[in-house]
Amino acid sequence: MNAPVLLYGNRAPSTVTLAAEPLDVSPQETLVLPDVAILYVLFEMPMTVALERLPVALHPSIPAVLGITVMHAKESPFGEFTLAYQGIACRTGIKPRHFITGAFCGNAQAAHYFTVRYGLDVRAAEVSYLETYDRVHGEVRVDGRSILDLSIVECLPLVGNGALIKYSPPLAATRVNGEPALVQFEAGYDFKRSIRGRPQLTAFDAAALGDAAVKPATPIAGSNSVVDLHLMPVRFQVDLTTPAEAGGAKKVTRP
Amino acid sequence: MKFGLFYELSTPRPFTAAQQTAVFENALEQIRLADQLGFHSVWCVEHHFLEEYSHASCPDMFLTAAARETKNIRVGFGIGTCVPAMHSPIRWAEKAAFLDHLSNGRVEFGTGRSSTWNELGGFNAKVDDTKRTWDEFCRVIPKMWTEERFSHEGTYFSMPERCILPKPVQDPHPPLWVAVTAPGTEFDAADRGMGALILSISEVERNVPRIREYRERIKRCKPVGAFVNDQVAIANWLHCHPDDKLAKQRGDELIATFGYMAGQTIEVSEAYPANNYTAIGLLSSLRPDPNAPGDTKKPPASGLCFGSPEALIETIGRWEAAGADHLVFMVQAREHLPQKEVLDSLRLFAKEVMPHFATDARQAQLSAAVNA
Repeated sequence: MNAPVLLYGNRAPSTVTLAAEPLDVSPQETLVLPDVAILYVLFEMPMTVALERLPVALHPSIPAVLGITVMHAKESPFGEFTLAYQGIACRTGIKPRHFITGAFCGNAQAAHYFTVRYGLDVRAAEVSYLETYDRVHGEVRVDGRSILDLSIVECLPLVGNGALIKYSPPLAATRVNGEPALVQFEAGYDFKRSIRGRPQLTAFDAAALGDAAVKPATPIAGSNSVVDLHLMPVRFQVDLTTPAEAGGAKKVTRP
Repeated sequence: MKFGLFYELSTPRPFTAAQQTAVFENALEQIRLADQLGFHSVWCVEHHFLEEYSHASCPDMFLTAAARETKNIRVGFGIGTCVPAMHSPIRWAEKAAFLDHLSNGRVEFGTGRSSTWNELGGFNAKVDDTKRTWDEFCRVIPKMWTEERFSHEGTYFSMPERCILPKPVQDPHPPLWVAVTAPGTEFDAADRGMGALILSISEVERNVPRIREYRERIKRCKPVGAFVNDQVAIANWLHCHPDDKLAKQRGDELIATFGYMAGQTIEVSEAYPANNYTAIGLLSSLRPDPNAPGDTKKPPASGLCFGSPEALIETIGRWEAAGADHLVFMVQAREHLPQKEVLDSLRLFAKEVMPHFATDARQAQLSAAVNA
């Protein structure tokens, strides 16, 4: 058979920053958070940057896409929190995911939860979410300075299956059982309502957001949904060091 | 049952001129052979910006080349995209009629609206409008073919009175089709009296209710063309080999290759939430559930035509019983298979399988073609 030449990330695994704490694979319970608002916005980005910043374990999406998520929970075991993260759209094998390049949260307990449960390298920041009559707004502030200011405007309701937003699961770089790995965020979503709007970006400090090279270009679309969020035990990991064509997702090993 | 070939013109990296030419020439060689072997039709998609997956940006040109190198095989647009940012309906009417002359009346005209962000975003198209623009295109194109002079004041397209030329050879015009990926589009086809070109590869049995409902609804249709094209074609895969196990192995390889290429694209529903793109399309039909990534690939659907002649006769028999009129096959993916294997597969299929699904007269023709 003819041997294929594939397109995948060029980044050396050793240059990928791992979460500050290793993944705790032991939890098996699902945490359900009611009425979580999720602002999810996609932009196209230059393919050269995506290839440069994705590790060899991942294929890029075509076109290259940057996804930004702001998640606001009013009720949780950690109290109210807002979590923001961004990632580059990618594939392992043929499945759509986002390789996370930055994550932020103002609630220390929640930040710790997402770090040890899902491998997100969550940094402390003031993260806010607000839905008003004409827009949905998310912001990340560090030391009083806005590093991300994002809205969706001119919003339209989505109905039926159109309201079921297809979130690409984040992949976060962390240590699993002592080894560097990409771990898939494991969540389920019971949608209550969704709207779609035009992205409007008024602040984006790429370096402060985790990767100076990763910048949005053409806006695609944004959505805001209210869901009951099911945070489930991690199930899948991707070997960070294995090139994409030989890698793929495998089940997380639990002791 | 009629059989055809279906081309995406997928191309391996690196995209050298020689590689691209080889993909086109290999496909044309397959079509020449298929014509000699008695295949009914060849279809070519229209796609843009889909690296590796499909370099078929100009199906009219490819089909013209195919038509000029063949005698009998029908040439189908599978499909022409009915989105104003990409085409005017005038140009589709002109191109299809032009090809109808160059092929001596062998055109099948398929319509659709694209399902990827790669394409709709690349052309800066209005995603929310594509269903409605498709509908308007379908209604005006047949009139451009059949009315001496045509004018139109519509929602998405308008033109003053002009004579659109040439008029097609086929009287009153080429058969009209709709590409069906999202469930429910077959009903749109039926309601308009158009053929359903079903692109969602799946189990035979899952298509039975779709085909049955299509047949019922088309009885009550208001045709957009001058006649009703009551036909169901199923896009499928083919690899026929005396060794059933080897044929299925090649099939797994083709599906895996196709799945890899399809996985690189971004479907509209993944990027731009919209009420008119709620279902996954052809690409995702072969993509595992993102929530089950441990499953590296879906098992091939039982309706796929990978196997020995005996196995394929059984599979195609089930498609026939389900009510399909045509099976149109993809036979290659990114030049994965050596050309000789593809040609041998076509020859074996024509010799051992096609006669089982032909009328007596057609069987005699096929037999003569295979022997020749």
